[in-house]
Amino acid sequence: MADVKLAPGADEVAMAVMLSDMLKANLEKPEKLKEFNKLKARVYINAKDAETEITMDFNRGTLTVYGGKEGSPDISIETDAATLLDLANINIKYGMPWYFDETGMAVVKKLLRKELRIKGMFTRLGALTRLTKIMSLN
Amino acid sequence: MAIPYGTDEWVETYNNIVKERMESQSPPYIMGTPEWVKQYEELIQNDAEYKEAAKTWEGSVVIKILAKPEIGLDKDLYMFMDLWHGDCNYVRIVPAEVGEAGDYVITGEYERWKAVMAKELDTVKGMMQGKLKLKGDLPTIVRAVKAASRLVDLSASTNPRFPDELDDAGKEDLRALLKRAEEELGI
Repeated sequence: MADVKLAPGADEVAMAVMLSDMLKANLEKPEKLKEFNKLKARVYINAKDAETEITMDFNRGTLTVYGGKEGSPDISIETDAATLLDLANINIKYGMPWYFDETGMAVVKKLLRKELRIKGMFTRLGALTRLTKIMSLN
Repeated sequence: MAIPYGTDEWVETYNNIVKERMESQSPPYIMGTPEWVKQYEELIQNDAEYKEAAKTWEGSVVIKILAKPEIGLDKDLYMFMDLWHGDCNYVRIVPAEVGEAGDYVITGEYERWKAVMAKELDTVKGMMQGKLKLKGDLPTIVRAVKAASRLVDLSASTNPRFPDELDDAGKEDLRALLKRAEEELGI
């Protein structure tokens, strides 16, 4: 079972609980667990409309979820709550996130319109791809 | 003593209350009443967008409105939606034990649901803020987020009247209706 834990106080942040529960369920799949065990990155997520933020600290096989901004992130994702869930619906094809179907194109459009801002998209592309694969429910 | 849930008699009595209320009340109906729930059910059943978005959906969804005695809601109210592959078999107010056994139960205080139905609070945002709490398999709900959003949009499109905005006579009428539902149907 994957080592996913909430930092003290994070259990009071609904988004932290939701995303860690979702990840725990995802990591029951061996292909996602394999990616999880390789990922080392600190990811900050801000659901601006919900005025809630979390930090996920992935450390090759462990994940600590903080209820707020913690440390200096490698990847920052800022968007609205619904788009965060769209990210979880991205399909994986040929072992990679697939941006050429309806869900993927919707995400790309939001990136272009700056409704979805991802810092570290190019500098940490490998980590971002791995993160997307882990977070995807598909 | 209330009629046992799940029997034909229960359904018949529930439907009779709905019929009586629809004949005696006029739209916009009061949120949470059987006539409002019926209106909502018909909207879902006739909505092509929901059907398409929910074509793989399996399982019941329950909206649980927490009690607020000062507006006539003396007990938690459970609105049970029986949904399957884009079809809505029914939406009904049900007894607590039935509601709690739903596949997905979304719980919130009255004000939160009022905000949702007044289009002031997005359900996803509400869940991320902890204003609405989900019991059930989160990944399944996330996969069906479009269908869930559509259900919420449809509830808002009923433009209901809200119990806290009723005058004293209206609140008493609501209280009497819910008391009858409790006595006859165990709601």
